Amino acid sequence: MALRPLSFVRRALEAMVRGPFMTAVAVGTIFVATFVTGLFAASLSGAERLLGAWAGDVQIAVYLAPGADLGAAARAAEALAGGREVEVVTPSEALRRLKASLGPEAAALEGVGAEVLPASVEVRAPGISLQEARALAGKLAAVPGARDVDFGNAWLEKVELLLSRLRWAGLVLFAALALGTAVLVSNTLRLGVFARRDEIEIMKLVGATDAYVEAPFLIEGVLQGLAGSGLAVVALYALHAILAPRLVSAVGLAAPLLRAQVLPPALVLGLLGGGAALGLVASALAVGRYLRKP
Amino acid sequence: MASEALVQLFHVYKQYAGEGPALTDVTLQVGKGEFVFLTGPSGAGKSTLLKLIFAAEPATSGQLLVFGRNVAKIKASQVPALRRAIGVIFQDFKLLPHRTVFENVAFPLEVRGLGPRDVSRKVNAMLRSVGLELKAARFPLSLSGGEQQRVAVARALVGDPALLLADEPTGNLDPDRTLEVMDLIEGAAARGTTVVVATHDRSLLERHQRRVIALEAGRVASDGDAFRRISGS
Repeated sequence: MALRPLSFVRRALEAMVRGPFMTAVAVGTIFVATFVTGLFAASLSGAERLLGAWAGDVQIAVYLAPGADLGAAARAAEALAGGREVEVVTPSEALRRLKASLGPEAAALEGVGAEVLPASVEVRAPGISLQEARALAGKLAAVPGARDVDFGNAWLEKVELLLSRLRWAGLVLFAALALGTAVLVSNTLRLGVFARRDEIEIMKLVGATDAYVEAPFLIEGVLQGLAGSGLAVVALYALHAILAPRLVSAVGLAAPLLRAQVLPPALVLGLLGGGAALGLVASALAVGRYLRKP
Repeated sequence: MASEALVQLFHVYKQYAGEGPALTDVTLQVGKGEFVFLTGPSGAGKSTLLKLIFAAEPATSGQLLVFGRNVAKIKASQVPALRRAIGVIFQDFKLLPHRTVFENVAFPLEVRGLGPRDVSRKVNAMLRSVGLELKAARFPLSLSGGEQQRVAVARALVGDPALLLADEPTGNLDPDRTLEVMDLIEGAAARGTTVVVATHDRSLLERHQRRVIALEAGRVASDGDAFRRISGS
C-alpha cells in the first residue's frame, strides 16, 4: 500500500481545524512544559554567562612569609603566570589600601603598624575562567616564600557548585516534566482520538492498515508539539527582551545578557525538537489502544 | 450452488462476552458468483455472521474460510488485505461525516494506494452509476437517507470487490429507494461479484428469487434455492 505523506499532513491539519478545543489544549500543555523547561535552561545559561564574566576579573594574591625575598617572589610569579601583570604589595601598601577601603572607619587602625600585614604578590588575570584561575592559583603556590594563595573568588566557587547542582536538578525537572506532559498530552489527545473513534473504525473496516490510520494522528501530534514549543520559544524571546535590560541596569551587572548566550540556538532547537517528540510520543500512546481493536 | 466456494463455515460458534450464543454450529458455503439472502428475525445472528466473514469479530470456535483463507487463524496484519477484497454495506451506512460524498467513496481506493487520477476516474464513474454525480461535493449529513445509502453502496462497490456483504441495505429506505439500491446490488452480482445480503424484509426475498439461508436463534433453520421453499407460499 502506498503511503502518501502530503495527504496525511492534509488530513492532520483538517483534524486540527475540526477540533480546535482539543488542539488548543494539547498545544497549551506542550507550551507550558517547554516554556518552564526553557525558562529554567535559559536562567542557568544566563547565570553561567554572568559567572564567567565575574570570574574573568580574577585577581590572585600570593601572601608571603615574613622576611621573604619580594623581588625573587615577583620574578617567580611572573614566570609561573606566563607574563601576566604582577604587582608587589608591601606591608605598608597593604595597610594603606586597608585604610582606604575602611574610609571613615580607618581611625580604628591608629597605632597599628604595617608589619602586622604580610607582603604579597598580586597577579591580575583578566578574561580567564574560574577553572583556569583555580589552576593558576595552584601553580603560584610554588612561589618562593609563599604562605597562602587566595584568588579571592571563593564565593564564585560556591556559585559554580550551586549551578552544577542546579544543572542536575534541571535534568531531573525536565525528565519529570516530559513524563508528566507526555501523560497529560496523551490523555488530551486520547479524548480527540475517542471523538474520532467512528472514523477510525470505518477506516479499518474498509481495509486501512494501522499505519494508514495512525500516520495522520502522529503528524498531528508532531505539529501540535512544534506549535506548543514554538510558542514557548517566542514567549522566552519576549521575556528576555523585557527582562534582560532591566536586570542588567537594576543589579548593575557588568555582562550584558545577550539573547544568543541566554537562549542559544542549541537550546531553541532542543526545545522545538523536545516539543515535537513529546507530541509524537503522546499521540502514539493515545491512538495505539484504538488500533489494537479488530 | 456454484462449485467453487468463496465463503465456507464449518461448525462455527460465536458467543459475545456475558451473553448467550449468537451463532451455534453454523455450517454453510457460498459459491463464487452466488447471490445469497441471509434472513431471520432480529437477533437471529445475521449481522454477527457477516462480521465474522469480514473479520470484524472473531469466531468463538469452528473454521471459517474466506477466499480459501482461514479467517479464524488470520494474523491481525493480514486483516486489512482481506477487507480490501470485500465490499461491505452497513445498515447504519458508516459514512465519514466530515468528508464529502466523493471523499467517502474514494476512501477504499486511497487505502489501496491508487493514484489520484485513477481514484477520480473510478469514483466519478461510480457516482454516475448511483445517480449522485451532482452531489459529489456534498457532505453525507446533508443528504437524504436513501442518498446516504447509495453513497454507502458506491463505497462498497467502487473497488470491484470479489465479495459484497450487505447488512439490511434497504432497512431505512422507502420502496422506490429500495428498488434502486437492490438494482445496484443486482448489477454487481451480474458483473460476477459474490453477494450476501442480510435482510428481514420478506418482500425482497419474494421479488428476488435467490438462494435464502434462514437463521433462527443463531442456527441455520433452512437453506433453500428461493424464498417460496422456506415460506411455503
